[in-house]
Formats: sequence, C-alpha cells, structure tokens
Amino acid sequence: MGNFFPRWTNWVPLKIAVCLGFVLVGVTVGASYYFTPKYTRVGYEPTQPVAFSHKQHVGELGLDCRYCHSYVEQSSHSNVPTNQTCYNCHGPDKGQVKKDSPKLAQVREANITGKPIEWVKVHKAPDYVYFNHSVHVNRGVSCVSCHGKINEMEVVKHAEPQSMGWCLDCHRQPEKNLRPLDQITNLNYKPEQLNRDAFYQGLADKGAKFEDLAKTVLNGKAVEKLPTDLNALVALATDTYGPTVTQQEVGSQLKHNWRIHAPEDCTTCHR
Amino acid sequence: MKRIWQHPEVKSERRYWRSLGEYSNTPEFTEKVGREFDPSIGLESAEERENSRRDFMKIMGGIAAVAGLASCRRPQQKILPFTKHVEWIVPGKSLLYATVMPRPYGSTPMVAVTHEGRPTHLQGNPLHPTNGGLDIFAQASVLDLYSEARVKKVVGKGAPTSWSKFERELRGWWEHSWSKNGGEGLALLLSPSTSPTRAGLLTEFAKTYPKAAVYSYAPVSRANELNAVKALFGEGVSLLPNYDKAKVVFSLDADFLGVDSTTEFHTKSFMKNRGPEKGTDGMSRLYVLENRYTLTGGISDHRKPIAASLIPAAAAVLAQEVAKLTKDSALAQAAAPLAQGLSDNLRQWIAVAAADLFEDKDKDGKVLGSNLGKSIVVAGSGQSEAVHALVLAINDSLKAFGAVIDTVTVPVSKSGRIEQLTADLTAKKVKQLFILADTDPVYDAVGFADAAKASEAKIVTLALRANQTAKHSHWILPAAHYLEAWDDVRSAEGVYSVVQPMIQPLFDGASVNDMLLALLGRKHPGPARAKAVEPSKDPAAPVPAPVFEVDPAYVAVKDSFTKTAGAWDEEKWNHVLRDGFLPKTYYPKASVSLNRGAVAGLVAKAPKLSAPTEQALEIVLAPDASVFDGRYIDNPWLQEAPDPITKLTWDNAAWLSPRTFKRLGLKTDGDFIEVKVGDKTLKIAAIACPGHAHDSVTIPLGYGQKVTTYVGKGTGFNAYPLRSAVTDYIISGATVAKVEGNYELAITQETYTMEARSQVREATLETFKNDEHFASHQGMDSHIPPEMSIYKGRIGVKSEENPNGFDYENLPQWGMVIDLSKCLGCSACIVACQSENNIAVVGKDQVRKGRVMQWIRMDRYFATPDNVDSDPTLEDLDNPEMVSQPVSCQQCESAPCEAVCPVNATVHTEDGLNAMAYNRCIGTRYCANNCPYTARRFNYFDYNKRNPLIETKVLGLKTNNVYAGPLGEKKPQEMEQLQKNPNVTVRMRGVIEKCTYCVQRLEEAKINQRRIARDDSSKLLVKSESLKVACQASCAADAIVFGNLAEKDGPVAKMKEHPRNYQVLKYLGTRPRTSYLARIRNVNPMMAKLELEKDRTVPTGTSSSMERSF
Repeated sequence: MGNFFPRWTNWVPLKIAVCLGFVLVGVTVGASYYFTPKYTRVGYEPTQPVAFSHKQHVGELGLDCRYCHSYVEQSSHSNVPTNQTCYNCHGPDKGQVKKDSPKLAQVREANITGKPIEWVKVHKAPDYVYFNHSVHVNRGVSCVSCHGKINEMEVVKHAEPQSMGWCLDCHRQPEKNLRPLDQITNLNYKPEQLNRDAFYQGLADKGAKFEDLAKTVLNGKAVEKLPTDLNALVALATDTYGPTVTQQEVGSQLKHNWRIHAPEDCTTCHR
Repeated sequence: MKRIWQHPEVKSERRYWRSLGEYSNTPEFTEKVGREFDPSIGLESAEERENSRRDFMKIMGGIAAVAGLASCRRPQQKILPFTKHVEWIVPGKSLLYATVMPRPYGSTPMVAVTHEGRPTHLQGNPLHPTNGGLDIFAQASVLDLYSEARVKKVVGKGAPTSWSKFERELRGWWEHSWSKNGGEGLALLLSPSTSPTRAGLLTEFAKTYPKAAVYSYAPVSRANELNAVKALFGEGVSLLPNYDKAKVVFSLDADFLGVDSTTEFHTKSFMKNRGPEKGTDGMSRLYVLENRYTLTGGISDHRKPIAASLIPAAAAVLAQEVAKLTKDSALAQAAAPLAQGLSDNLRQWIAVAAADLFEDKDKDGKVLGSNLGKSIVVAGSGQSEAVHALVLAINDSLKAFGAVIDTVTVPVSKSGRIEQLTADLTAKKVKQLFILADTDPVYDAVGFADAAKASEAKIVTLALRANQTAKHSHWILPAAHYLEAWDDVRSAEGVYSVVQPMIQPLFDGASVNDMLLALLGRKHPGPARAKAVEPSKDPAAPVPAPVFEVDPAYVAVKDSFTKTAGAWDEEKWNHVLRDGFLPKTYYPKASVSLNRGAVAGLVAKAPKLSAPTEQALEIVLAPDASVFDGRYIDNPWLQEAPDPITKLTWDNAAWLSPRTFKRLGLKTDGDFIEVKVGDKTLKIAAIACPGHAHDSVTIPLGYGQKVTTYVGKGTGFNAYPLRSAVTDYIISGATVAKVEGNYELAITQETYTMEARSQVREATLETFKNDEHFASHQGMDSHIPPEMSIYKGRIGVKSEENPNGFDYENLPQWGMVIDLSKCLGCSACIVACQSENNIAVVGKDQVRKGRVMQWIRMDRYFATPDNVDSDPTLEDLDNPEMVSQPVSCQQCESAPCEAVCPVNATVHTEDGLNAMAYNRCIGTRYCANNCPYTARRFNYFDYNKRNPLIETKVLGLKTNNVYAGPLGEKKPQEMEQLQKNPNVTVRMRGVIEKCTYCVQRLEEAKINQRRIARDDSSKLLVKSESLKVACQASCAADAIVFGNLAEKDGPVAKMKEHPRNYQVLKYLGTRPRTSYLARIRNVNPMMAKLELEKDRTVPTGTSSSMERSF
C-alpha cells in the first residue's frame, strides 16, 4: 500500500496553524480598532439641513456657546436652540442679518409653519447612559474636553470617542481637564495664558489658605517651612512647575479646593 | 478563632404570618419557602422544559446570526428643537406643576411631574395646607391619561364621526325644542363635585334652561351620612373631624383611613398622634367595629369583627353607654329601639370603649382626665341614616362639635337623585340625557339600563373610558382627563385650587365644564379651534402655524377665581397656579347646633336588618381597594396592586371568615360559592379572610364588567346586580352555598416570603414606657454579638483604621426609616414606585407564577398567640391582629447580593447604595437567591415590548402573548410608553431589578447641589429636604423618612437614633440602610379584663428565651 498523502502534506497542519494565528491576530487587532468608538464615532460628520457654521459664529464672530446652548448650565441636556434664537439676528423683522439668504430659507419657513428644523444628532449616548452637562460645566470641565475645537469646525464632527473608558479616564484623573470657571466656554484656553499670581490670589480670595495651596503644589514632598504669603507660594510654584502655569498645576489646585470628586460608581451614569 | 454561632428559635408569645398556608405550615407552603422564584405553578415538567429550552436556543441562535449581519450601521437620529420657546420648559429637566385631582367630596392636592410636556408622575403637594400625600387611586390616575381604554373619537349613532357633527345635532336640539320650551326634556347626570366653576355654570344653566333637570350620582356615595347631617344640622353644613386633636376615636364600620376617606389629609392628621417618640409620649387610641378587616381596622388598637347588620345595634348600645356617662337621657331614649341583639360580651366591650371616650383612666381605674371634646365617633358610609344620626348625637353628647369636629358652611347644590332619573326615563319625561358623570350607570345603577332602553331619550355620554354606558349611548364623546383641562375645585376643608391642564387633550376630549359651556352656547364643543387666517396667494408659500382662541373654560375658571378671591388679581392668580391653592379660603365655621329632636325620628326610620345566621347570611358590598366602584378596571397598575388585606390581584372574590369558609365545605381559596339574594344569584370565587365576621360575606364592587379593554377583560365578578336600590350596601337574608369548581386567583401573599421569618416588631405603649429600647432586643436581636458580619465590606466611617470607610463628610449617605406605627399598608407607595421607576405590569398569569415586579412588597402580617405545642385552631383566626410592613431593597452596607454577582452588575456606591447596572446584568439570578429580604425581581419576559396582558394564537394554539416569543404580537404599548420616566432605564428581559432609593432623584439632587456650589466647596452637603423619594412623597401617613445620614441633625439621622428603631434580620450582619420603627399599640388596660379579650395576646416586647448561645 502506497502513501496516500504526499510528503508535502506533513507541513499542512503547521501552515494552517500559522495562518490561523495570523488571521486571529489580525481579527483581534482589527476589531479592537475598527469596532471601538474611537473608529466608529470619531470623525462622524453628518450634513445638517441648514449649513450652520460654528467656525464662523464662534471662531470668527465670537459668540459664546451659551448664547445658543442656553440651558447647558442648568440641565442635563445641552439644548439645540429654538428658531427664535436664530431669528434674533437673522429675522427679517429683527437683526436683519442676511435676511434673504437662500441658506436660511429653512429657518424662515420654520418660523412661519412652526415645524422644527430636523438637525442630525452627532453626539449620541446610549439610552442607558445618563450624562449631565450642567454638573460638568459648573465644576470646571470645558465644552472642548468632550466636543473638541468646535470653534474651528465648519461642520460639527465627533471629535472624541466618548466611550465608557474615555469617560472613566477623566473621572479617574479630573485634574487633567479642570480649568477656572470663567474659561469654560473659551475654547482656545491654554493654562499657560493664566497669570500665576492672579490664579493663586483668586483661590485665596475664595477662602483657601496659602499653606494648603502650597501642600497641593508640593504633592507630598516635605519642606522645612510652608509658604504663608502669595509671593512665597508663587515662588514655590515656579520652582515646581516652571515659569508658565501648567495644566497639572491648575487641575490639582482646582480639584483640591473645589473638592472635585468625580464619581466612578455605576449609578453615576446608569440608572 | 472561628465562632460557631447558632441562633435558637426564639420563642415569643406571638406568631406573625401572612397566609393561611404559612399559618398551618401546609406542605405547599413549606415547599415554597426558601425558593426565591417559585416554579411550582403552571409550568411544564423538567424534561419538557429542557427540550423547549434547546429548541429555543437553536432558533434564536439562527435568528441572532442573521440579525447581527443586518445591523452594521448606526441609525441616524434627529433633534427637533422647539421653533418658539415654550414657557418654563428646559429640555432635559422635569417641570413640576401644582394641580389638584377633583374628588367627589373634595380634592387631592398634588404636584404633577412633567417631562417635555408629558405628565409622568404625581406626588403630594407639600405647600398645600391640606396636603396628605396621594392615595392609591390618585397615584395611579396618571396612567388613565394614557390608557388604551380611553374614548378616542366622537361616535354618533354607532359610527365614528366628528365634534362638528355633534355640534350640529346640539344646535338642532336648541333650535327645535330647548329654545322654545325652556329645556324641557333635557337632563344632565353629574357626579358630585366641589368645583365652583361648575356650580356657577350650573346656576347659569338653570337660568337658561329653567325646565331642564340635573341629577347627581355616585355608586359609592356618602349620601346617608350627608342626609343625616342635613337633617340634624340643617342645609349647607359639613363636618370636618380633626383627628390630630382626638385622643380616642371609635369607628363603626368606617374605613375612614381607607376607601371611606374623603381626603388623605385625615390619614395625615390621624397619624400625627400615632408615632410616639418616647415612652412618655401620649398617642391616640382607635377602636374599630367592622365586619371585615379594613386598613382602619388594621391600624386600630382594639378591634372586633361583628356583622355589618349589627352595627346599628352597636351604635345604639354605644349611644346608651355614652348617655349613661354624660347623663344624656334623651340620647339613651332615642337609641333604645335599636339597642338589641348584641351579646353581653360585646356590650361590655362597647361599655369599656364608651368609658374611654368619656374619660381617661389608668389601669387601676383612677381618673386621669376628661376625654370630652377629645373623642370622635365615626360611622361607615354604607351604614344607614339612623346610624349616622346616632353617631352625630353621640359626638354631640361627647362635646366633640367645635372641639374636635368643626362644623363649616358649604355651598348647597341642588340636584335630583338617580332613582328620580330612572323614574323620569321610564315615564319618558327625558328627551335628551347628557351623562357627564365619571361613573358607569348602566353597569352600576339599579334599573338604569332598563329605564334607558325603555325611554326614547337620546343619550349623550361624555366618557373617559369606553364603558357600558357609552356602549348604550347615541353619542359617545371623548372626555378630557383632569390633567388635560381647566377646572377648579375646593378641598373638603374649602381650600380653593385650580386644576391646570398639563397637556393638550390627547383625543380632543372635552371636560364637563366644556360641555356645560357648549350647552350654554359659549363654546364650540370639542377641541380648541384655530383662528381663521387668509389663505396666501402664493400656493408654494408655507402654511402658517395655527393660532388658537382663548379657551372659554379657562375664562370661566378665571371668573370663578375672581369671585372666590374677591377681585381679579393677576399676582394672586399666578400664585395659585404656582403653589396650587388660594390661601385663607377655608369654609367659614358655622355656628349651628345639633337638632336633637330629629334623632329619634331618623332612628325610627332605620331599615330592618337582621343579624346574620347560618341560613340567612348578610352580604356587604364595599368599594374595592383597586378599582374603587369599577372606574379603574382598565388601570393595570391598580389591578396588579395587591389588595391590602387579601393580597388578591386582578380579581375580586367573596370574603368569608375561615369558620364560615369551612362550614360551607370550601377547601381552598377560589372555590366557587353561589350567593342568592331574593331571585338574584351570583356565582363567585370565595376566599378565607382571618378577622372577618362569621356568616357575613364581603364582596368588593367594581369587577366583572362587560365592556373593558384587554386590561380589565374577564377580571372578577359583578356584585352590583345583587342590589335592589343604589344605597344597598348591606343586604341581609342571603343564602350561600358551595358550588362545584375553583377559580384561579392570583394572590401574592405567599410570593417572596422571607422564609417565614417574621420581621415586624411591636409592643404596647405600656411596654414602650417601661422599656424604651424594646425593639432593639426583641427576637433574634436579643442574643447577637455586636456588629458581627459574615460579609466584608466598606463598613462605617472613614478613619485611619478603616481607610475604605464611607466618606461621610464629603458624600451624601442615604438612609431610610419606616414607622410601622404609622404605616397603614394602603399600598399607594407601591404604585408611586411603579410610576416613578417604569416598573412593568406582568399580568395575572405571571403573578400566579410569583413573578410580580413591584419593587415594594407590602407584607401584611396577622398575629396570633404562638402555642407551639398545639395546632392552630379556627378560634385563633377569629380576630388576629394585623400589621403591615413595606419591604423593598434594604440597601445593605455589606450586601449579600453583591458578593455573588459574577459580572459586577450589582455593586456598592460611595453614598451607600446597592446599585444595579442593568446593562451589565446577565441574569444569573444569584443575587436574588442570596437576598435575605427577597427584594429583587427578575424580568422573565420583555414585558415592555410584548404585552403580557393579551393572548395570541400561535399555530392555532391560544397562549399568553409573552410565551409566543417572536411569533407573538410585538406591539409596543405606545400609549403607556408616554408615561415612562425618561430618567430611568426601561428594563428588558433577563435582567434583575430592584429598589435603588430612586437613584435618579438622588443623582439629580447631588448634581443640583454641585451646580449651586460651583467653586464654593462649603456648600456641597446635600440637605435631606432637597429631595423626596417617590414612596415618601406619596405617603399620606408620613411613615417614610428618607434623607442624608451625613447631615448630622437631619431628619433621617435623628430617626436612626429613635428608641423604636430596629433593623430587619440584623443578626445576619448585612447592616441595612433601611430600618423600621416598631409598631406601638395603645392598649386600654381595662380591656384586658374582659372575657372577649381573654385570648388576645398583648405583646410585651420581651422574649422568653434569651440565652446567649455562642
């Protein structure tokens, strides 16, 4: 009886195994990239019924976010403005800006018929996630942290993955994103722009003690004597963080002084 | 060292049990004990189950594979903002409106929670001076707004038509007859109401149509009581008992804290004196004589079951006994004709109670003080005018009027009774009948259906629900729900409130005011009409949004507000809309005195009721705790809410005492009996009720309706035909016999048992005085080591030794205390919870399988002497004591459920909650098996997607829709969905759910506080008063206290220090966040000496064996 299988078949199982190995690795790598919000969501840029340009309105004209998204500081939702808001400037009987522009035809029509414009939703949390805008913007998290540089977008697109892991990254280390309350809607804010003296003075005015502020700066490091006035504190901060204000510096101070406690419990978002 | 700790059976004098099965330890019951989910009823064998499961997996696997491929793209969603800003609405925030629910004799003040214009939940209005939380009906009424049962279209002569067609008909009637003959032949049937607007419109109506007739009707009414008051005090007088000032209350068949109540404020004021803080605090005492257990009987201190037909005799004896003490010979004389037929024992019992009504004595008989002007006697609405007259005379003799019962002047409304209408219909005097009442006279009024058929009258019915009357009408008009229309109302005390619409009428419904305005020619009937606009010349131009005229009903309400307030005042009006009431509008006190001479006359007219015997039983017809008089038959929340006494859902049944039950040869609950009254018979399922009077049958009204939706279809038995007059509530001389067959009842009292470990604690006021902390060492707590826990976790306050402890300083720590001394067991909290938390209704079939989903379980315990050596006797069941205890998740600090979850779906939060992440749960049910409080519920089916209340046909076989799976009807309940709370996940199949202390409200309160604090960290503490959980906000008795334990002097922290505070199953070491205050009974020491009270065990709060055994 001869050999049924030629010699080369001896290697077939091994070849298959190696191939399968590659396929498996490929699928795993592929899935972990292509099937995650980082790929499926970031960059989503649907066409809107009215070509509203955030770049023009916010970036160039300098409208504040809260002019249109007026309830963001009070409500869980950041509302999409009513037609009346558009009409404050574009209304034929009001501001008269571009009152006959064909781009605004839908806005004018909606004003007469009372039928709303159907904007396409870009940022969408699953039904079992209860995100609250107001608590974030009132406690030092800026719009830009989750939505990206809207002021530079002609058409709004999904800038961040907004996945659970991404949320938790910030909830575990909120200091990476905290900023002073007057800078929340300043999408171009950089911590370097802050004046160190003014920043610490501001915290001191709110009742913080220089010793406590210094302790946060030192972050556990021991010193002989804690600074008791502004100058000594600023000197210590310059020593620690360098000549310009850093995010770590602002964030850790705000977290400590405002007693930011970003919860990580399930009930924070799931109810 | 390992400690071996055995806990011995602690012998106590009393035994607490929930069902007769538990009481006599039947094998069926012991089989169930310890099983979290009872698989015993109605399921296939294990083999069949295995097969069907495999088939199911095969099919579903295939479907899932195919379905998975099809859904790769995220669906596009749209955002539709308002075009014009709507006042007050902030997208994403709930908007609260203060409004009121009109009730026949007053109103229920409430706050309606709306989300983007949808009312989703109702709760008590804390600002309102007569706020008393909500009762179960008011609580569930929001679901009626979205009910499938609603009349959705105008139907004329059997065919769908329109409001304008009806208007044409109306105009025809006006032109051809009413304008000429002054409205002759026109008749209105209304429900009792306290609406000033309606009263004003009716006055106007009487002027426009001088010959028209107005009738008033309610199937369950207080007519007898009101007639007695009218006869003895004159017209336009109303009585307002102040239970908070009363020291002794005696109830004669009056469920004044339950279905007989006219306002929940009575519950609130009564309960003010029922939760003593210290042993030396006084509390009121309540005596109850009744034929069946009611909520009032359950909370009483002394109760005796006697036949309802003996209540007149009891009232007379009480009158005589009181007269003896107050030396009121006229009263004794007036009562004499009725004072017969009571046993000597009962007479003694009443005499002791009468002595207590008269003066306060200690146990040695020493007089401590007079109770005159501090005691109230009340009688049930089903009792005759004679009984009410006697009760009024007794109260007068006890100097109650002016002291504990206020007499106030109320507006008089004149209307005919339904008997007259029936007669007028038969005599063909009525040509057009407008039924604007919220009841169903064809179903519930004696002789009405025949009279309507015989007459030639055109019947126009304004109906919220498509009921039997609507079916027999020529015109059916959709009625507006009270959350859809303008109205106003005065509470029982007179406080003026405005009923605000929360939403445009969903089905173009009209309110009663709208109809009256239409009859007066002041409004087009039906929905508001848009103002006419000139059509544009350009056909392509967009159609402009309609502009509506001002609603004339709104104008009418404003007019009557002007009248009540004295003058139009915009600011005042806005305050009324904001706060829900106009201050200082109580009815004026009336200085009237009782006409004692008329008492004897009324007593002489008393109907002849004979005491029931084995041959001639009595039938007592009572409003049902779920469907009231039948109007809520299509409300699934109410249908599924267990009856507070029998724990029966989805049906009614004839209540019998266990002895009568046995005598009739009945074996199990649900066995059929036939009730014969004269020539009328009723075949009905029977149920044995401990504490029921013998030879007496109670049948709750309102079931067995022919015209219902799938909700009420085939539920219960109709007892209305047993009546021969609309005021027949007690019928004597009935024969009752067993007939073949058994009806399947869905009773929840053996569902979710806690292994027969009774969890209520109680003592007498006397014991409490001697041993304030009795509750903390009763039962098993008498011999447990301090703070021993088998579960490791984050326990206690953060410290250096315990770095993982709770951060009490920075985070709120939630806790709850429930006062069993105040809890009636009315079950309003169950429905409040259901409404707030989107809890599914599962249907009778599933309830029978023990799958009821309500997060709060209202345990109703009966207590009897515990003679471990002897078998229980029927005598023990004659008058057991009742205690109610609401149980939901106890939020254990070291929770047994958390330790066994394989996927971390149930975990602990930093503020002490036992959280449930539904999207993580895979449905192993380990947690439920490990929960000693059996507080967890499992979604066996997708109750929200597949309606469990209907049957479908699969391959020719009829089956419940949920079992049909993908082959069943997958119609989402679109209407009911509108009620859902958007802040709570709607759970799907295969997920465990349970109480989380309304975590959505807690998170909202926390977020609000942080929003206010912003950069000021000193304001982070969440105050307890900044929020209320749903059950707490609905509780009329104020039995539930909830709040932040971290708030040192907050209400809940204070309650945790209460001497009566105890934890259920403390010895397990679970450290529950919910604790209870032990029940206190204010027992009259003189009673203990009586023959009748001999068997009664008075809990002393001590246990006989307390050896430490570890």
